Amino acid sequence: MQLSLNEDQTQVLDFIDSLAKPYATVPMHDVSLALESAELDEALVENGFLDVMAVEELGPVMAALVIEKLARLPFAVEAAASAMVRPLIDPELPRPLCLMEEGKARKPLRFLRPGATVVVVGPSGVKSFTATENMIAPAQEDTLYGYPVAFLTSQPDSMTSHDVDAAEILRAWRVAMAAEAAGLLGAALASTVTYVSERKQFGRPLATFQGMRHRLAEDQVLTNTAYWMAMRAAGTGSQADAAMALHHAQEAAKRVCYDYHQFLGGMGMTLEHPLHLWTYRLKLLTAELGGRGAQGLAAAEALWG
Amino acid sequence: MQFEWTEEQDAFRHKIRDFLHANLPDDWEKFSEHGPASPALTAFAREFCVKLADAGILFPHWPVEMGGEGLGPWEQQILAEEMWIAGEPRGGQYMNVNWIGPTLEKYGTDEQKKRYLEPITKGQSLWCQGFSEPDAGSDLAALRTRAELKDGNYVINGQKIWTSYAGLADTCFLLTRTSDDRKRGITIILVPMDTPGITVRQIPSLIGEGDIHEVFFDDVTVPESARFGDEGQAWEIIGYSLRNERLGIPRFTLARAALDRAVQMLKDAGDFDSEYVKIEAARCAALCEAAGTANYAVVQRRVDGLAIGAESSSARYATVMAERAVCEFVIEFLPEGLAGASPYLKMHHQRGIVAGVAAGSAEIQLNIIASEVLELPREPR
Repeated sequence: MQLSLNEDQTQVLDFIDSLAKPYATVPMHDVSLALESAELDEALVENGFLDVMAVEELGPVMAALVIEKLARLPFAVEAAASAMVRPLIDPELPRPLCLMEEGKARKPLRFLRPGATVVVVGPSGVKSFTATENMIAPAQEDTLYGYPVAFLTSQPDSMTSHDVDAAEILRAWRVAMAAEAAGLLGAALASTVTYVSERKQFGRPLATFQGMRHRLAEDQVLTNTAYWMAMRAAGTGSQADAAMALHHAQEAAKRVCYDYHQFLGGMGMTLEHPLHLWTYRLKLLTAELGGRGAQGLAAAEALWG
Repeated sequence: MQFEWTEEQDAFRHKIRDFLHANLPDDWEKFSEHGPASPALTAFAREFCVKLADAGILFPHWPVEMGGEGLGPWEQQILAEEMWIAGEPRGGQYMNVNWIGPTLEKYGTDEQKKRYLEPITKGQSLWCQGFSEPDAGSDLAALRTRAELKDGNYVINGQKIWTSYAGLADTCFLLTRTSDDRKRGITIILVPMDTPGITVRQIPSLIGEGDIHEVFFDDVTVPESARFGDEGQAWEIIGYSLRNERLGIPRFTLARAALDRAVQMLKDAGDFDSEYVKIEAARCAALCEAAGTANYAVVQRRVDGLAIGAESSSARYATVMAERAVCEFVIEFLPEGLAGASPYLKMHHQRGIVAGVAAGSAEIQLNIIASEVLELPREPR
C-alpha cells in the first residue's frame, strides 16, 4: 500500500497542469453550453498524455490520474475512453472514442462526430466502426449536458470485431467513468466553495451558514472518496472495485449537483457561471452504463456471485 | 500510488488471524455480544491481552524505544482491522495501545511513564476518558469540572458523563478546568479510579452493558504530580490524542464483514434474488470501501510523516455513512439478525450505531471539514 503520488505521477500531472493552464478558466463572455478546444486535444495527444497506460512504469493508475485531472477543466476532453479503454482494444483506434452499450443507441453519445470511433460493447463482444456523417443526428442545439453529444441513427452492417474480453472492457469503462466523475466532482465542489465564500447575504459570506457548511462538508467526503475509489479500482483491476467506484461516483453526483446549483442561487441558473459545465457532465455520467442500479448489480455479482 | 499490500504486510495480517483463530474460544461470537466495556469482556481481555503481549502483537507498532517493534502505521492499521472485525477481544485496552501509550510517551513525566506504561504493555490496565460533561458534549471547551491546587494537591469537583469503561477502569484521563480561560484553562489529570470521592453510575444503553457512565468527583484529591502536561495544555494534548483515536477504530471493516455475513444469511434463506436488495447491498459495500480508502489516505499521511489534520474528520464521516448504511440494511432485510439469529450482526449493530457520536460527533467532524479542508470562512461566534 502506497497512496502517495510517485515522482513519475507528480511529473506527469505537473506537465498537464502547465499545458492546460490556458484552458483552466472559461474564456471571457463565453456562454456556450459545451466547451471544447481542438488545440488542447491536439496538445494532449502530441505529448502522449492519453497513452500513459501503455507505458510500463506509468500504467492504469496514471491513466486514471490523467483522466481525473483533465475532467477538472471547464473544457470537455475525450480522455477517459481514449486513455483507459482504447489501449485494451487497439491503441491505434482513431479518436475520439465513443463507447456504447450494445442495443442502447437511443442514448446521446458523447463526442460523436464524423470520424469518431464508435465502440459497441455487449453480449456479442466488442466491435467498432468509424462514424460517418450519414449515421449521425445532432442533438437539440441547446442540449444542457456540457459535452458535445449526438445520436447514432444507424450502424454499419459490418464492424471490426476485437478479440478482447467484453467484461474486461466494461471494467475499464467503469474505471474511466469513475475517474472522470471524480475530477468533475472535485471541480464542481471547488467552484461552489469559491462562490459561497465570496457571496455575502445578511452581511456575511453564505459559507458561514451552517445549513450550507454541513452539506458542503458531506459533499467533500463524497468527492474525496470518489477520487480514492476510482484510483483504487484503476490500481487493482478488480471488477468489484470498478463497479463500486462508478456506483459511488454516480451516487455522489446525484447528491451534489442539485446542492451546488441551489447554493449558487440565481447565479447557478446562468451560463455566465461555469458550474453547469461540470454538473451537467456529471448528470450525464449518472446515466452511463445503466446508472447506479446496473453498477450495483455488477458489484453484487462480483462480490457475492 | 499502488494499492496492494506487501508480502510482509500480508504475512503480518495472517499472523494475527492465525493467532485469533487459535486463541479465541469456540463460543467467542456469542460471547462478543457482551459490549467491549462489559465486565465479561473486560475480564476476558485481561487474559487475552497478556497472550497478545506474549505473542508480540499487543503493541508491535510502537517505536522500539517504547518496547515495540517499530512496525509502523500500516501494521497498526492491519492489527486494528483484524481485532475490530473479530469483535475487539482487547475490550477497552485497544485505547491503551492506540493513543494512551503514545500520548504518555510524548507528554508524560518520567514518573508517569514508569507508572502507567508497564501495565499497558502487560495487558493489565484499563483507562477511561473523562471528557464529556452534562453541559459540555460537542462543546467540550465548556467543561466545568474544576481542579484547584491546594497545598501540593489537586482537589477535583464536578461531573463527567458518557464515560466509556468508567465502571472497571483503573485510571481516568481526566479533563479539568484550572482557569476560566476556555480552551487554555483546561488541564489533564491522571486520576486513579479508586481515589476516594469518585462515584460511578452506569447508564443503561442501546450499545451494550457497561458501556457508558456518569462519574461524580467530590473533593477528589490527588498529588500535583498527577497533572499530565502543563496547566492549560490539555487542548493541545487531546488534539494529538483524538487524531489518533479517530483513526484508531477501523469501523468500516466490521461494517463490511457484517454486510458480508448478512448477504450470506439472505442467500441461505433464498432471499437474495431481488435486484433491489442486491443494489442496496452493493451501495453499502461501496460506502464501506469508500470509508476504507479515505482512512487509508490518512494512514499514508502518517507513513509520510505529515501532520494529520482534518483529513481524519473526513475519513471518520465516511465511516459514519458506511455504518449507518449497513445498520439500516441489516434491519430492513434481516430484522431477525438483531433478535437472536446472529450474535455477530447484533454485535456489529451495537458498535456501529455509536460511530457518529463517539470520539466527537459527526456534526463536529463536518464543522472541521468545512473550516479546515474546504477552508470556508468561519461562522460568527
